Amino acid sequence: MSRVILYMAMSLDGFITGPGDDKENPAGVGGMRLMEWLGGGGPEVADWRPGDPQSQIVFDELMSTGAVVTGRRTGDFAGYWGGDHHGGVPIFVPAHTAPADNRYERVHFVTEGIESCVAQAKAAAGDRDVLLHGAYTAQQCLKAGVLDVLEIQLMPVLLGQGRLLFEGLPADHIELDLVRTLEAPKVLHLRYEVRR
Amino acid sequence: MTESMTAPIRLYMSMSLDGFIAGPDDREGQELGRDGGRLFNWLDDRMSPGPNGQVFGELMATGAVISGRRTFELAGRWDGDHHGGVPIHVLTHHAGEGDVPPGSAKFYTDVVACATEARAAAGDRAVMAHGAGAAQALLQAGQLDELEIHLVPVLLGIGRPLFETKDTGHIELQLIRRLQGRDATHLRYRVRHHA
Repeated sequence: MSRVILYMAMSLDGFITGPGDDKENPAGVGGMRLMEWLGGGGPEVADWRPGDPQSQIVFDELMSTGAVVTGRRTGDFAGYWGGDHHGGVPIFVPAHTAPADNRYERVHFVTEGIESCVAQAKAAAGDRDVLLHGAYTAQQCLKAGVLDVLEIQLMPVLLGQGRLLFEGLPADHIELDLVRTLEAPKVLHLRYEVRR
Repeated sequence: MTESMTAPIRLYMSMSLDGFIAGPDDREGQELGRDGGRLFNWLDDRMSPGPNGQVFGELMATGAVISGRRTFELAGRWDGDHHGGVPIHVLTHHAGEGDVPPGSAKFYTDVVACATEARAAAGDRAVMAHGAGAAQALLQAGQLDELEIHLVPVLLGIGRPLFETKDTGHIELQLIRRLQGRDATHLRYRVRHHA
């Protein structure tokens, strides 16, 4: 059964980017601090694999998902990862209007709403899970009740400002179950299931 | 880090995963905000063995309290005694002529003086800091040594945040202890003060 899993690195004060995030600087000022749980980076996906075994578990799970749902903003900033986030799996983007010039075969803009977007991603992922990325899209999924799991990389830093992961949610409590904790030298991995 | 070898000033706060320490509309008569009591279920175990009881026991063994004025007033000034009669150091913008707080409580308008006197009063025991206002003031003054966050597995959606957006630059932390209690993950971070 395919589940929708949010993967986001977040500071203890709730930020997922530094201030002033834009296309030139997608992580915002100083926001790359949040990516330090990953490997050094490079042209290959494997270059981003963390060095510690706990973080490798999370990274490998992320990389074995069967589809990606990402927000328009996150996708635009990342250039849709050149059309391939990992392993050639399809990428679904909830959008009000599809762009006229979609250069990427595997990137699908879905204008029928978040539920439809997630349903299409799940169908495409088959038995595998769906990777969700982006704060606004995560909020939309939470509101629509289609987010199953939050995998938070809690970074030991206070950024002070930036883009918040959780914003604009309804006042009704959303209960979570902490189902796994992995402690690595640079990060605490918290896996929560959304209770329904 | 010789400073942290002496007793630390440690913030104790229950916080939802989305960063709230109280529900919305926290005020007199509804001190935890609407439905904010959700964050304190772990305190049901406060007298029990296990992590929740341990953390509560440590809190009660602190040798002084630093609180923001807002928290202090919302709590009915703790009738002058938060726990064990230890001194309560209250940060405020205006002490108010003739407003003498009860019991062991005392008003401070200077953060550093407040922290210094709290450390002296606590001796070799830790100082408990409480409230978002006190946390921010102490952090900005470089006087907060540790944060003990009771992270509760819930998204409140709305309420009073612990951390307001502040142009303070990054403050690096180090996770030095993690205790998993029922309905709360107790995360103790050390503030890595700038050299």
